[in-house]
Amino acid sequence: MIEFLSKELSWIDVDYWFYVFNDLSLIYIIVPFFVLELIRYAWQKRLNTNLVLDSLANIITFGAFLTIEFLLGLLAVTKLYFWVYNHISLPHLELNWITIITCVLLADFAYYWEHRMMHRIGIGWATHTVHHSSPHFNMSVAYRFGPLDAIMPIIFSLPIVMLGYDPILVLLSEVFVQVFQTLLHTEIIGKFIKPVEFIFNTPSHHRVHHGSNRQYWDKNYGGILIIWDRMFGTFEPEIETVRYGISEPLHSTNPVKVFFHGITRLAKKIGSVEGFKNKFLVLIKPPDWMPKE
Amino acid sequence: MKNSTLLFRSLAVILLLGGSAHLVSYASEQTVDNTISPVDESIELQTSKSEENTLLLKDTSDYNEETDYIIGNWKTMYNSKDFKGAIVFIIKKEKGVFNAYTHAYEDENGDSEKAKGHKILMIKSFDGYKGKGIYKVTYEKQTYDIECEIDMVDENTFKLSYDYYGYSDVETWKRQ
Repeated sequence: MIEFLSKELSWIDVDYWFYVFNDLSLIYIIVPFFVLELIRYAWQKRLNTNLVLDSLANIITFGAFLTIEFLLGLLAVTKLYFWVYNHISLPHLELNWITIITCVLLADFAYYWEHRMMHRIGIGWATHTVHHSSPHFNMSVAYRFGPLDAIMPIIFSLPIVMLGYDPILVLLSEVFVQVFQTLLHTEIIGKFIKPVEFIFNTPSHHRVHHGSNRQYWDKNYGGILIIWDRMFGTFEPEIETVRYGISEPLHSTNPVKVFFHGITRLAKKIGSVEGFKNKFLVLIKPPDWMPKE
Repeated sequence: MKNSTLLFRSLAVILLLGGSAHLVSYASEQTVDNTISPVDESIELQTSKSEENTLLLKDTSDYNEETDYIIGNWKTMYNSKDFKGAIVFIIKKEKGVFNAYTHAYEDENGDSEKAKGHKILMIKSFDGYKGKGIYKVTYEKQTYDIECEIDMVDENTFKLSYDYYGYSDVETWKRQ
C-alpha cells in the first residue's frame, strides 16, 4: 500500500489528468448538463425571459470576475505561493498518490473554512452574495461570481503550501474543488444513496446551501465532502422545499447590478453607521451585524 | 459549537492529512535509501572502471540496455549570475526513473568542491534517444520545477532544453 501511495508520478501525467477533470469537464459534462436543464425548464414551462437573462448575467459576471483576477495579478499570487514554498515551508513533498490525495482533501478543507468566512464576515458576504443572489438554481449559477471571490482562497491555501505541497498542485486541487462544486448546481438530481449523501456534498446538500429559508441560512459550506459540515456543526439536510436567493432579493438581471450589488450594499451600510470603529466592524462582523444603539 | 472545539478539530484534520503525506514520503525515502546503495556502488565503480561497471549493471535484473547507459556521471557548464563554472551530476535509476543529483561543483579556475547531492533532474520518460522530465531551475534565489526535454546527441552527450514562460535555455551535458 505504502509502495503504491508513494510511487513517484510524472508531472506531465498529473497535469494531464487535472486538465481532463478541471478544463475538459466544461465540454463533456457542464455544457451538456446545462442544455439538459434548459430542456427540462422548457418541458416544465418554466423557461422564461428572466431565467435566460439571469443565466446570461451569470456568464457575464464570470467574465468580469476573471478580468479582475487577471488585473489583480494571478502571476503575482503564483509568485507569492512559490516564495512561501521556497522560504517558509516544511520539506517539499514528492509528487505521488498520497501527496495528491491529501492535497485535494486539504484544498477541500481550506475551501470549507474560506467559504464559511465568506458567509460570516461583512466584506466576504459583500462579494459572495453575488453567487447567492440568483432566484434560480442551475449550472450557470455556479459561474456567478463576485468581484473579490478569489481573495479569500489565498489566505487559506498558503498554509497548504507551507506544509510542503507544490504550489501548482495546490492551485490545481483548488480548481478541482471548484469544478466538483459546479456539478452540484442542479435541480435534476434528487438525492443519492445514504452513504454518498453522508460523505459527499451532493446537489441536495448544495440546494440547501443556496436556500433563503431561515433554517437553511449559513449551512452546508463543504466543497467535495459534507463531512466537514457534520464535523463543524453546520450541516442541514434538505427537507423543506428550497426557495433560492437571498433574504433581501435583488430583483434584477442587469449584469453590472448583479456583479456590484454586494459591494454597493456594504458601502451604504458603512455610510449609515456612526464612528470609525463601527465602520470597520461592519467589514469583519457577520453581515447582519449592526452596532448597538 | 465552541471556538476551541472548532480549532482543535481543524488542527487534527491538518495534522492527519499533512502528517500522513510526510510520513509516507519519509517511509518511502527510507526504502529507496536501502535499495539504491548497490547502484551507488556501481556508479562509483564507473568513474574508475566503466567496463566492469557496465557488466555489473547488466547483472541486475532490471537493467535495460537501450536506456540505462545514461546512468553515470555527467558534467555541464553554467555561465549565470548565480554560478559560473561546471557542475558534475550523478544520474541514478530509482524505481524505474532516472534522477540526477548534484555531485561536485567546479569553479572557473578548475577548483572543485563536493556537492550536497540535491535532486535536480527527474527523467520521467526516456527511450534511449529522447526523454522528458522535470528540471529544477533556480532563478533569483527561487527554485522552479519546469518541464524539460532530453535529446541524446551521442552516447556521451545530450542536450537538455526547457522553455518556462519565455525563460528558455539549452544545456549540453557531457559524460565524465
